[in-house]
Amino acid sequence: MAIITISRGSYSKGKEVAEKVAERLGYECVSRDVLLDASDRFHIPEVKLIRAIHDAPSVLERFQHGKQVFIAYIRSALTCRVAKDNLVYHGLAGHLLLKGVPHVLKVRIMADMTSRITAEMEREGISEQEARTLLQRDDEERRRWTRSLYGVDPWDSSLYDLVIHISKLTVSDAVDFISEAALKEQFQTTESHRRKMEDLALACQVKAALVDPFFDVGVTSDYGNVLIYAKSGDRHVNKIKKRAKELEKEIEGINNLEVHAGVPVPEDAL
Amino acid sequence: MEPLTTEMILVMIMIGVAIFLFIAEWVRVDVVAILMMVALPLLHLVTAKEAFVGFSSNAVISIIAVIIIGAGLDKTGLINRLVRPVLRIAGRSESRVVIAISLTVAVISSFMQNIGAAALFLPAIQRVSKMLKIPLSKLLMPIGFSAILGGTITLVGCSPLILLNDLLEPFHLKPFHLFDVTPIGLALVASGIACFILFGRFILPKGTMESEGEGITSGLRNALEQLGAPFELHTPSDFTHYREPVLVQDLKRRYLVNVVGIIEPPDFKLLSPTPEAEVRSDIDLLVYGREKDVQRMAEQEGMELKEELGVFKDDVSDTTSGTVEAVVAPRSTVAGKTLSQLNLQDRFRVTPLAIYRHGETYRAAIGDLVLNVGDAILIQGAWRRLKVLQEERSLLFTTPIDVELMRPEKALWAGLWLAVALSMIMIFKIQLSVSLMTGALGMIITRVLSIDEAYRAVDWRTIFLLAGLIPLGIATEKTGAAAWIAHTVLNAIGTVQPIVLLTVIGILSTIFTLVISNVGATVLLVPLVVNMAIAAHADPRMAALVVGLATSNSFMLPTHQVNALYMGPGRYRSVDFMKAGLVISVVFIVVMIGMIYLLYGI
Repeated sequence: MAIITISRGSYSKGKEVAEKVAERLGYECVSRDVLLDASDRFHIPEVKLIRAIHDAPSVLERFQHGKQVFIAYIRSALTCRVAKDNLVYHGLAGHLLLKGVPHVLKVRIMADMTSRITAEMEREGISEQEARTLLQRDDEERRRWTRSLYGVDPWDSSLYDLVIHISKLTVSDAVDFISEAALKEQFQTTESHRRKMEDLALACQVKAALVDPFFDVGVTSDYGNVLIYAKSGDRHVNKIKKRAKELEKEIEGINNLEVHAGVPVPEDAL
Repeated sequence: MEPLTTEMILVMIMIGVAIFLFIAEWVRVDVVAILMMVALPLLHLVTAKEAFVGFSSNAVISIIAVIIIGAGLDKTGLINRLVRPVLRIAGRSESRVVIAISLTVAVISSFMQNIGAAALFLPAIQRVSKMLKIPLSKLLMPIGFSAILGGTITLVGCSPLILLNDLLEPFHLKPFHLFDVTPIGLALVASGIACFILFGRFILPKGTMESEGEGITSGLRNALEQLGAPFELHTPSDFTHYREPVLVQDLKRRYLVNVVGIIEPPDFKLLSPTPEAEVRSDIDLLVYGREKDVQRMAEQEGMELKEELGVFKDDVSDTTSGTVEAVVAPRSTVAGKTLSQLNLQDRFRVTPLAIYRHGETYRAAIGDLVLNVGDAILIQGAWRRLKVLQEERSLLFTTPIDVELMRPEKALWAGLWLAVALSMIMIFKIQLSVSLMTGALGMIITRVLSIDEAYRAVDWRTIFLLAGLIPLGIATEKTGAAAWIAHTVLNAIGTVQPIVLLTVIGILSTIFTLVISNVGATVLLVPLVVNMAIAAHADPRMAALVVGLATSNSFMLPTHQVNALYMGPGRYRSVDFMKAGLVISVVFIVVMIGMIYLLYGI
């Protein structure tokens, strides 16, 4: 009855932890599947999405407003999965993509460099030097990625509820901690949490549907009442209104949809 | 017999001109009446005094008084209360409404002046029209005609019949009893109503509701319909248990439902609560919203949606509250602010429901929208509160609200003064105009309505139309034109079967009553036809009765007081009266002669 996001670097055993936690709690474990969802739904090659997530934002910038567009797509796919509850998500930025959901247990798994290098050397069959360079570059890119999109450093421990360093603590220790924490009352899904998640999923869907080409709209949803915040400018707004009318029919769960222009976008808007 | 004089010819020309202008409608009918009022003294057909004697006539003063009394009764909601049972019986069907009200008016009119009955019912009919969305023009004419026909049910129903026995006295004929005419009168009323039910579609003008909506455009009506309707809900006794408090603004945000009334425990009724007001357990609340949204709210919040309004029933009735459209005026201090900043709920106790801007209705999060000049805000509230907001002048109201300011607390006074006026007429036999004016004055003194409202209630079109036609009647009689016509016609037909004679008398009376007053026509014709009938070996009493009845057969021109009264509100044209009036007049004569034949066997 909870949602757990596990943020990790490569070769940090995060995936292993995530899978075991999911197994222990009987939850679904989600990672790349989300990308598949997104690529299916929005007809983008998965490869492109993976690169969008993994590589530095420079890749995204090749597309117009690619950054916002891809994030909206992934977010939409992820929130739809999350709305079903009981889920472990591992991968980058899950905690950031699920901003606004109150009962997410945010975990960061780290491992020390030596063991990561060893793991990579084993897997890829490369030299220590190469492995080290690759890992460092990888870490750096992810750092830049999160920085550029969310303005935060993934290594900032204040972003997480739990930061576990896999070294003296083993993977199974981590699974114990996480499983125990996930059962705490504050992470349980209440009726209002469920409602919030549904609204978030709805808002994400609307945002994803609008983001290309209206990348700068803000979307909120409250009990199915969707508000789209647009910058003023008649032609622009009219186009958004037209598209919004169609969306009202296309997307399920919308109770009312309005486009408000020239109004300050609230902070919690997507 | 007098020879035809120039004056007589002039009078006949003037009648012709009046009728032509009624039909041609180059000017409005009341202007035609004023034209007569001016032209007749100029042609020396009447004296200046006689030209304007209509304004001081008993009939015109009575109409003014009765209109004021009617307005007073309407303002206190008394008419509403009387209309309700009638509507309950009649349901929503147009025909049944027409039958129910027509019968009621006919019965009342059989004991009092038919103009009185017609004037008293006018506000009621206007209300019914608004409530059932039936065009006023579909209701007024059948009901007005019934009021005229109802005058023939008893011998005191209309002035010609009241006079009849006095006119028979010189001839030593047996007087009629009070109910002698009742069978004929009932048959006339029934046939009149039947005509409208059967042929109303063809003979009544096709009125539309739009033209009668008081300043409400169809667009606004649409917008109001989109916003939904009032609903009443009840919260369960465990509503607030184990949950965060539910505020009025939460309901608005979640379900787009506006809470416009809430009970503060134990039983304090709060209208237009502030957004921060809390919804408590086991209370009633009044909301405004689309049915779908309200149902969703009831379901998800575990409230009970009531079948119909209960606790708040009186607070949403049209008479006490409503929804208006207010526009942000240029240079208004409101522009640039948000509704949350204005805080209308707290300051004025009214609830903004939606904002209309650039062809779009905004219902969600309207509190945060920055108001621009030209934005229209739909505001719900009690008329009293809205009035206060209107007087602040920061918002321009597109819907007039002063028309609906009701004073239900004065209902007792209004009823009392009506009773006083009626008992003065019926018991103390004081003149109609004096009695009714006493009632009207009483209402003004006891503040049922202000003197300005009383003046506004009077429809001056009616007054001038009636007063202006009176000198025409005077001229017709004074110059001897009427007598000349009557003599000529009756001499021309010679000796015929009694039934033909009576029919001719009926037609003649009908034509006379259209131009000269019904009393004038009766006084003129009765002595004439009695002599004629004796000469033709017909029953002279029947001949007199035909005159007495047929002078109520005044439907083809808006010259009868009742027709004149209903012409304005019903937006009728002279042509409308001719079309429907011709049918009814023909039926009238046929039924009248038929009934006399059946009852008295002439």
